[in-house]
Amino acid sequence: MNFVQRDLAEGVRLHLCETEKFKTLNCKIFIQQNLEKQTATSTALIPLLLRRGSGKFPSTLEIAKELENLYAANFSSDVLKIGERQILELHYQMIDSSLLPEGDTLLERGLETFWDIITNPAGSTEAFIDSYYKQEKQSLKQDLEGLVNEKRSYAIKRAIETMCANEPFGIYKYGEPATLENLKNEDVRLHYGNLLSSCPMDIFLVGRDLDRVAEFIGGLVEKRESKQKLKLPQNVENPEEKVMEENMNMQQAVLIMGYRTNCTYLDDDYYDLVVGNGILGGFAHSKLFMNVREKASLAYYVGSNLEGTKGILLINAGINGDQKEQAMEIIREQISKMKAGEITEHELEQTKQGLISSANAAQDSPAAFIDRNLIGLVNGQLRDSAQVIEAIRNVRKEGVIKAMERLSLDTTYILSPNGQED
Amino acid sequence: MEQIKTPTGEIIYKDNLQNGLTVFLLPKPGFLRTYAVLSTKYGSIDSSFKAFGKDVVNVPPGIAHFLEHKLFEEEEGNVFERFASFGASVNAFTSHTQTSYLFATIEDWQKALVQLIEFVNKPYLTEDNVEKEKGIIEQELRMYEDHPDQRLHTSVLENLYYQNPVRLDIGGTVESVNQITVDDLLLCYRNFYQPGNMALAIVGAIDPTEALQIIKDNYPEWEHYNGTIERVHPEEPAKVQNSWVEEKLQISRPRYLVGFKHDPIWQGEDLLRQQIIMGLVWRLITGRGSKYFTQLYDANLVDNSFGASFSGDTRFAYSMIGSDTDEPERLHGELTKIINGLKAEKLEPAQVERLKRQLYGRHIASYDSFEYVANRYISHHFDNAPYHLFLDMVQNISPSDLQDAIVNLLDWERSTVSILRPVSFSE
Repeated sequence: MNFVQRDLAEGVRLHLCETEKFKTLNCKIFIQQNLEKQTATSTALIPLLLRRGSGKFPSTLEIAKELENLYAANFSSDVLKIGERQILELHYQMIDSSLLPEGDTLLERGLETFWDIITNPAGSTEAFIDSYYKQEKQSLKQDLEGLVNEKRSYAIKRAIETMCANEPFGIYKYGEPATLENLKNEDVRLHYGNLLSSCPMDIFLVGRDLDRVAEFIGGLVEKRESKQKLKLPQNVENPEEKVMEENMNMQQAVLIMGYRTNCTYLDDDYYDLVVGNGILGGFAHSKLFMNVREKASLAYYVGSNLEGTKGILLINAGINGDQKEQAMEIIREQISKMKAGEITEHELEQTKQGLISSANAAQDSPAAFIDRNLIGLVNGQLRDSAQVIEAIRNVRKEGVIKAMERLSLDTTYILSPNGQED
Repeated sequence: MEQIKTPTGEIIYKDNLQNGLTVFLLPKPGFLRTYAVLSTKYGSIDSSFKAFGKDVVNVPPGIAHFLEHKLFEEEEGNVFERFASFGASVNAFTSHTQTSYLFATIEDWQKALVQLIEFVNKPYLTEDNVEKEKGIIEQELRMYEDHPDQRLHTSVLENLYYQNPVRLDIGGTVESVNQITVDDLLLCYRNFYQPGNMALAIVGAIDPTEALQIIKDNYPEWEHYNGTIERVHPEEPAKVQNSWVEEKLQISRPRYLVGFKHDPIWQGEDLLRQQIIMGLVWRLITGRGSKYFTQLYDANLVDNSFGASFSGDTRFAYSMIGSDTDEPERLHGELTKIINGLKAEKLEPAQVERLKRQLYGRHIASYDSFEYVANRYISHHFDNAPYHLFLDMVQNISPSDLQDAIVNLLDWERSTVSILRPVSFSE
């Protein structure tokens, strides 16, 4: 199972995966731009506004009725951050028309609905309907203020802001309240118009009868010019170590440790680092889980994540506030041990197996099979599952040690319950 | 093996083994993954029962979940490691009524299956390893305490019920968890993990005949109590304990949730039918295609967190609906008007028809999710409900069924409102 690429227009690429495996047709569109303070908040409003209404279906209610009539067709939209790019995601899914009581008469109707929602938002080409705009601006404001409600993701956001205060990566994917305050309806509509007409657009399709689908979509895409120049992130070597602690009225402390890896997706030793992250904290058999949770009983969750475009490895753990020193010590010790070569053949093999399994498992879910291409899109180098699996298979212990040696601690961030300050 | 045809035209193979275990097998040609789940009909509410069919015992709340953690312990090595050695992943979860152990794998599903059966059937409990687990579970419970939705949910259940153990957190409390002993754990294990009280479902790249043989060859002889399980259930008054409660937490804006206490009068097919009906009722009010959603959203009384659910079992049944909101009292007033209005006026048949269409599509698509299908077949099997007839049952539901449910179940006299309010930073 693989994608076949086709150019549709300047900057618009179609990726087709013809398969009868699934009961649904999935279409995901990604529109990329540089992550910038000015535009990030604007982009974050777009998913909220698109679902409010389109030319043909002028309200949330009308859109929902149409999607219900299409037997639970689904439209969703979100904003993603990969490296220093902000990506607008537009997702449409419908039941494979051969499985519907009405047969395949609904396919074109469904695609047309999707296209109307994303290219023809309710209002004019200059502005969204103003009452919608005001409401969704308020809604985004509440979402941004509500980040504090989920302690773990809040802590991760704060850690990244601290770590990358002077880099685009420090910008939150949904922007910030201060910028939102001054945004105007016309600015956001203009920005969306620019996104549609001049930013790289990748359309992924997974399902049956894709020639017919592709032809239909090809007829909908308008001629355009691609103007936006996209950048890749800059690396920060030898960062100065930062420590930050904040307090809240809560039960459990969240500890985040952010490392610079000095290695990204385009580097030859990238998969050494991917395997290294897996051994350290990517799985339930990993060193962090085994040592922080299973042996020391300090945490319920602890793990590490790699952001392979920016080259950052983030460790996060939910711990008792009194035991943060102990937890940090075990975490640092595990990394030092890996740098010193304490990696067993067994750890290496089972981590590689685990990574290969997830690469394979992505082929069983249309959304996952599409999403696995995102890192390649951003870095300008698509790799299929077979290439990734091959690269992981070739990783050796020496490579992992070298990759881990390049890690340097940048930021330690702790969100602690009130009154536990020492 | 019995063959059950699914609404998607696939075949599920079902078998009842001699030892009492029920097995569901759904082969998925063309897929690479295999997902399996082995469940016991034993959850957090089973804390009072006749041990080995004789004397009634009461064990500390949180024990089913504690046992779930502990079955991962082995005398030598570790269960996570064993699955990881060939790239498989393994996990478990506990609900009010069920404990489930699962794996997902690409390689060697046969080996994973043998290991799943083995570790669930081989508890290794020592004073030391039980003590050690208490620290981990304490952190897990504290994590939930910081989780606003979890807090609100627990608060509604605590106040809807007086005695029913469904009012307690699935994991118990830090205090109750600390009371748990090796003997308690073994007692529960020996009562509730008998194969007759369990079911195994596998969905994926399997050959059903081979899978069944592996299960038969590897399922160990059960050496403990093998008989009727008698659960003891406390008397529960019809009325609710508290009708309005408020709590504070460090959150950005208030959250509102109202729960309705229902009499648990449904079993088997009726229970499934009621679940479908209430699912449609709640979509009628909270769905994006609902005029009520639009009305409340436009009045800034709800946001995209607006949602509702029905939970039903033979021993409890309740519904909940809520949202984040700046004005919980006003939202409460408007919701009361909407629900009371629906009791009086006729429902639009066209809207109900659209909701049924939507449910049809969702149900078909759900067969692509191995986890969802396997877990559904098991939980409805424990409920004695024919899940494969889901779509036929949907077809036979009429607007008046929805209206009857609204009139009979959404009784404000038997409701609890719970509100979480933000603490100011000075507190």
